Amino acid sequence: MTALLDLKEIRTGYGAGPDILHGISLTVEAGRSYCIIGPNGAGKSTLLKLVCGILKPRSGEVLSNGNSVGGLRPDQLLALGISYVPQERTVFPTMTVRENLYMGAYSVEDKDLVEERMDRVLTLFPILDERRSQIAGTLSGGEQQMVTLGRALMVDPKLMMIDEPSLGLAPQVADQIFGTIRQLSQSDTTILLVEQNAQRGLESVDWGIVLDLGAKSFEGPAEGILDDTRIRELYLGTRVSSRGEVEG
Amino acid sequence: MNILQVLILGLLLGGVYSLMASGLTLLFGVMRVVNLAHAVFMILAAYIAFYLFDLAEVDPVLTIPVTMPVMFLLGVVIYLLIFPRLETSERYVEMTVLLTFALALIVEGLLTFFFTGIFRSTRPEYGTESFFVGDLFIPKGQLVALGVSLVLLIGLWAFLKVTKTGTAIRATMQNRTAAQLVGVNVRRISAISFGVGMALAGAAGSLLSYLFPFFPSRHWQWVAIMLSLIVLGGLGSLKGAVVGAVTLAIAAAFVTDILGPTWSPVTFFLALFLVLMFRPQGLYGKVVRI
Repeated sequence: MTALLDLKEIRTGYGAGPDILHGISLTVEAGRSYCIIGPNGAGKSTLLKLVCGILKPRSGEVLSNGNSVGGLRPDQLLALGISYVPQERTVFPTMTVRENLYMGAYSVEDKDLVEERMDRVLTLFPILDERRSQIAGTLSGGEQQMVTLGRALMVDPKLMMIDEPSLGLAPQVADQIFGTIRQLSQSDTTILLVEQNAQRGLESVDWGIVLDLGAKSFEGPAEGILDDTRIRELYLGTRVSSRGEVEG
Repeated sequence: MNILQVLILGLLLGGVYSLMASGLTLLFGVMRVVNLAHAVFMILAAYIAFYLFDLAEVDPVLTIPVTMPVMFLLGVVIYLLIFPRLETSERYVEMTVLLTFALALIVEGLLTFFFTGIFRSTRPEYGTESFFVGDLFIPKGQLVALGVSLVLLIGLWAFLKVTKTGTAIRATMQNRTAAQLVGVNVRRISAISFGVGMALAGAAGSLLSYLFPFFPSRHWQWVAIMLSLIVLGGLGSLKGAVVGAVTLAIAAAFVTDILGPTWSPVTFFLALFLVLMFRPQGLYGKVVRI
């Protein structure tokens, strides 16, 4: 079976700047959910921007279901079912919650399908149903995050990439968001999550991927990944005083 | 002059100013480009209107169906030639300012070369006619210009509100990244917006041809006025462009009444100066933190 997403030896960076991703290779299988963790500057967000088409690969191959999709525009990748929820809040500030969600279905022609998905999103986020006529720019941070997640769901993506959904949110609100993500990962949508809070991120998914300095350094089942001493050293920065303790 | 009279004269010009400002602010909103060549294209459209009037006796208002599509196409072509290659530049803003400045110089040079620097103006009959409502003096030409501008602005509003392309334009103005992520082809939308903005400049040019005599280098004064209108309104806000345009048109009418027509342009530049000093985001603009 061909993978939903297959990255081969990807190098890329911003503008004329240096490479951020140094030949990363990565496979995402449909029906599994993933969380990418790693220290600041490891290239986690850059990786998502590359896959969604905001950044183009400098070299290497991006395959989706066996087809080369590297260098396509975001709207073309979206049509292939690859959707991205960025870290920064990206609601349309002067549109209502409803209008924002409808914008999510911009590329969907079938009206009935749009209504069906609208119902699904509003069931998933009851608070958005209550606030449907409110101007999105006036919502709280958590609610805006729900709008962006809901908006991305309007295309019923095959792969949904979510970058640091809990950033700047109160703990209870973050809980709610992670709950939803866990719920989504049980559905047909494959989740690829990037999270600074490794513990929380890994709790919501099946599989963990550790990134360091623009390359994959480790992957494995999410549960227990943080118990691995190598990961602890890398991620939590506990370069232990007695070197002998650390394996590898 | 009595206050109501001055107010009416200001309002009558507010429509054309709104037309000029909304095109410019649309471009800024969608592309983050301050198009310094906006007014020179308006003058180009005024020349098209002038020659259609002079050679074929076409009423300047009726030249709008010509100037708008011509300028739309020109806008799309210019966009595609210049902007896509700048998109990834780290100095996008500086580059676009310099490029549109250069474009303005080039077009001005071409206009002067082909059409000379002589003052031109179309002279439809209504351009010099007027009537009275009670004591109030109403110049017909300006009333026609207001009517035409209102029709076009309502058309623009409906286009943005109702059509799919219009919705995509509004979305791109509000958040370019988000628009991209919901599947808007922002390059296509930018090209169309550039065309629409230029088409509005085209319509304004047709009206300008009989409202204000023009010659090629006049565009510098007009682009400065346009900038003051959209800075007051808030860059990228269409509502702001219209409010800014009407406000300053009325203010200029009062300055003309009190100090004389020579002082009228000062209104715009003083307003520009004051807005930048005390409320740089304008009336409806977003506060940008760097």
